[in-house]
Amino acid sequence: MPLNRRAFLSSTVALAALAGTLPSLARAATPEAGGTLRVALDQAVSVLHPQLSRVNPEYLAAELLYSSLTRLTRDMQAEPDLASDWTSNDALTEWTFTLRSGVTFHDGAPCTAEDVVASFTAILDPDMASPGRNNVGPIETVEAIDPHTVKFTLSTAYADLPVALAYNNARIIPASVATGDYASLRGMANGTGPFRLVSYEPDRLVVVEKNPDYYDPARPHLDRVELRVFPDLGAQVSALLAGDIDMIATVDANDYMRLDGQDGIDLLRAASGQFCNVNFGTDIAPFDDPRVRQALALTVDRGTMVDFMTEGFGTKGNDTPLNASYPYFKPVEQREKDIAKAKALLTEAGFPNGLEAELIASDRPAIRGKLAVALREMAKEAGITINVTTMPHATYLEQVWKKGAFYIGFYNMQPTPDGIFKLLFTSDAAWNETRWNNPDFDALVDKARAVTDPATRTDLYTQAQALMNADVPALIPAFFDVLGAKRTWLRDYDIHPRASLYRLDHAWLTAEAPTRAG
Amino acid sequence: MSASYLLKRLGLICYTLIIVSLLVFGITQVLPADAAVMMLGENATPEALSALRAQMGLNDPIWMQYLHWIGGVLRGDFGTSLRTGQPVGPTLLSALGTSLQLTVLTLLFMLMLAIPMGIVAAVRRGRIADLAVSLVSYIGVSLPEFVTATIAVLLVADWWQLLPPVGYVPFSEDPAEWLRHLVLPVVVVSFILIAHVSRMVRSELVDVLQTDYIRAARLKGLRPRRVLIRHGLRNALLPTITIVALDVGYLLGGVIVVEEIFSIPGIGRSLMSAVQSRDLPVIQAGVLIMAATYSIANFAADLLYAWLDKRIQYD
Repeated sequence: MPLNRRAFLSSTVALAALAGTLPSLARAATPEAGGTLRVALDQAVSVLHPQLSRVNPEYLAAELLYSSLTRLTRDMQAEPDLASDWTSNDALTEWTFTLRSGVTFHDGAPCTAEDVVASFTAILDPDMASPGRNNVGPIETVEAIDPHTVKFTLSTAYADLPVALAYNNARIIPASVATGDYASLRGMANGTGPFRLVSYEPDRLVVVEKNPDYYDPARPHLDRVELRVFPDLGAQVSALLAGDIDMIATVDANDYMRLDGQDGIDLLRAASGQFCNVNFGTDIAPFDDPRVRQALALTVDRGTMVDFMTEGFGTKGNDTPLNASYPYFKPVEQREKDIAKAKALLTEAGFPNGLEAELIASDRPAIRGKLAVALREMAKEAGITINVTTMPHATYLEQVWKKGAFYIGFYNMQPTPDGIFKLLFTSDAAWNETRWNNPDFDALVDKARAVTDPATRTDLYTQAQALMNADVPALIPAFFDVLGAKRTWLRDYDIHPRASLYRLDHAWLTAEAPTRAG
Repeated sequence: MSASYLLKRLGLICYTLIIVSLLVFGITQVLPADAAVMMLGENATPEALSALRAQMGLNDPIWMQYLHWIGGVLRGDFGTSLRTGQPVGPTLLSALGTSLQLTVLTLLFMLMLAIPMGIVAAVRRGRIADLAVSLVSYIGVSLPEFVTATIAVLLVADWWQLLPPVGYVPFSEDPAEWLRHLVLPVVVVSFILIAHVSRMVRSELVDVLQTDYIRAARLKGLRPRRVLIRHGLRNALLPTITIVALDVGYLLGGVIVVEEIFSIPGIGRSLMSAVQSRDLPVIQAGVLIMAATYSIANFAADLLYAWLDKRIQYD
C-alpha cells in the first residue's frame, strides 16, 4: 500500500493517541467521522471575537474557530496547539515557541510568527480591552525570530507561561486584523481552528463546519456543530431528553438530578476549583480586624454548606481558593465550626454583644444569594446579625464589586494556583476585591512563579494557603463540581474542570445519533 | 370617518411615542450601569473607558444625547448594540417578525376556538356546556403561562414526544418544522386569551340576545341560526375587536415568558436579555418599537370597528 503524507500523519497520530490513552480507548472505540452535533448553551454568543469573549458560550465558539499556542488538558497541563514545542532560559524570563508549519487561516492565508506577535500585542494593549490582558502572564515583549519562531520576554520569571498561553482569550488572529479593524471579528471569524464559521445569530444559533485544512488531518471528526441558545434551563433539559440536542454545556444540580437515570443520557461531573466567596473589605471596619473575619469563618459548618449550596455536588472549602483540583496542592488544616471560639474572638475584638452587618449578593448566579442566607443563619449562633441584600448583577458590578465591605463573589477555576492568587489575592491582583495586602503572601506567590520543581512549588503554595487561612481576607466555604450532560451517542467528550474548555475537536457521534440535514 | 379624525389619531400616536421615547430614555439614564463599562468589561483601563465615553457621546448633556438618539431613530438608525456590536434596528425588526408570526398564529387559533366557545356558552346559558366553558375560562385566566408551558412541555414533548419541546426554526429554513415548533407556544399563549375572549363573546351575546330587535327578528319567523349569526353575533363581536386589539399588544409585550421558555428569538426575549446585560440601545429601541406596534394595533382596531358598525362616527 502506498503511504502518502496524510495517511502517514493520521497513523502516527493514531499511534500516539493509542500510547497515551489505552484505558479510555478500550471503551471509546474508533471515532466515526461525520454528523452534526447540537450543543445547548444557556447564554447568547454575543461576540465571536476570541480575544474579547467573556462568557463560556463565547469561549466555546472561539475554541471551535481559533487556535492558541498551547492547550490545557483536563489535568491542567499545557499541550501543543499551534506551537509544536517550547523552551525557556534557566531564569524562566525568556521563552521560545516553535510554530507548526503549513497552518493556514480559514481564508487561506498562512499563519506565521507575525500573526502571533500581532495577536499578543493586541491582547496586551490596554486600549483593546481584552479580558485576557491580566491572564496571559507577565509578558513584556513578543518578537518574531523567524516565520516559525516566537520569543516572549517576561518582566519576571514565570514558570506557568505555557499554561497561561492556553487562556481562553489568548487566541491567534490574523495580523492584518489585529493591527487593522480589530472589532470586525465581533461578528465574523477568520481563525486556524478545527471548524469554520457558517452562520451567526447571536441570540439563537451559531453554525460551524469542519475545516478541511485543519493542521491535524485526523480531526475534527464532526462535520458540523450547531450552538443553540436556550435561555430557559428547563428547556435545555427537555431538548436533551427529546434527543433534539446532544449535550448541555453546564447543568445545575437540580437538572442534573432530573436527568439521572434517564435512558440515553450520560451525566458528566468533574470536581473543580469553582467557588463562591464572602469578601471582606479588609480596609473597612469592622472587617479590618482579622479577629472579626476569623470569628465569622468559625461559625460556618462547611459540610452543611456543601449540602445546602451544591446539593452535595461539591467539596468543603477552607478559606483559600485552592483545592485538590489544582496542581501543586497540599491541604492545610481544615477549619471547623467553633462557636465558643468565635464568640471569644468577637469579645477580644471589642464586640462582646455581637455585631450587625449588611451582606450584599448579586442575583446572578442564584447561588450567591443562597450562600448569603446560609451564612446569615449560621452566624446568628455567635451573635452576629447579618442583613442580606440582593441586587441585579449590573448594579452589583457598578456599586459593590471591588468596593464593598462585605459581599459575595463567584469565580471559575483558574488553571494554576498562581492564576487564582494573582487574579484575586496578591496586593497587585487585577481584581483585589478584598484590598488584602500581605507582603509575605505576595513574596511566596512570586517565589513560586520562578520555580519549576513541583515539590518546591507545592511547599510554597502551601505556605501561602496557610497565611490566607489564618488571616481570612475572604471566606470560602465550599467548592462546586461542574456538571453537564450528554446523549450516549456523543463520544469522547467530557466536562473540563475549568468549565470554560470543551475540546470538541475530539468528539464524535455514533451511528445511533439522529441524522440532521446540513 | 373624516380625514381630520385620521390625522388627529395619527398625531396622537406620534405624541404617545414621543412621550414613550422620553420616558425610556430617562429611565435608561438612571439605570445603575455605565454603558462604556458594559461594552469594554470590568478589565478596561480608565483611559480606554474615557475614550469610549467620548466616542459614544456619553459626556454630552443628556438633552443632546436624547436629540442625537431620536434623530437617529427618525432616520431609521437605532444605534449599535453594546453587547454584540451589531446594528440594533435590523436585529430587533427580525425579532419583531418572529414575534408577529407567533402573534398571528395565536390570534387565528384563539379566535377559531374562543368565538364558538362563547357562542355555545351564550346559547346554552346555565347548562352544562356553559359551565364547561366557564370552567375552562377560569382555569385559563388563573394559570400563568409559565405553569401551562411547563405542563404542556412535560406532557406533549417529554412524555408523549409528539412535538419538539423548545426551539424555533425559521419558516424559510423548513416550513414543517417551523409549524411543529410553534404549536406548543401558540397553544400555551392562546389558553389565557381564549378564556378572555370567549367570556367576552358570551356576555355580549347574552346581552344582545335579550334585546328587542332580536325578539323582533324571531317573531318575524327568521330561522334561529340566522338570527344568531346575522343579527346577534355581528353586534356581539364588535366589543370583542377592542379586546383582541388589546391582546395583540399583550402578545407582543407579554409573551416574554413564553419566548423565554420556548427559546423563541422574538422581541420579548431580545428585550429581556438586553435588560439583563444593560444593553441600553436595544432596550430603548425595543420599548419604542413595542409601543409603536401597540398603538398601531389599537388604531387598526378602531378603524375596523368603524368599518363594521356604520353607526359609529368618529370626528
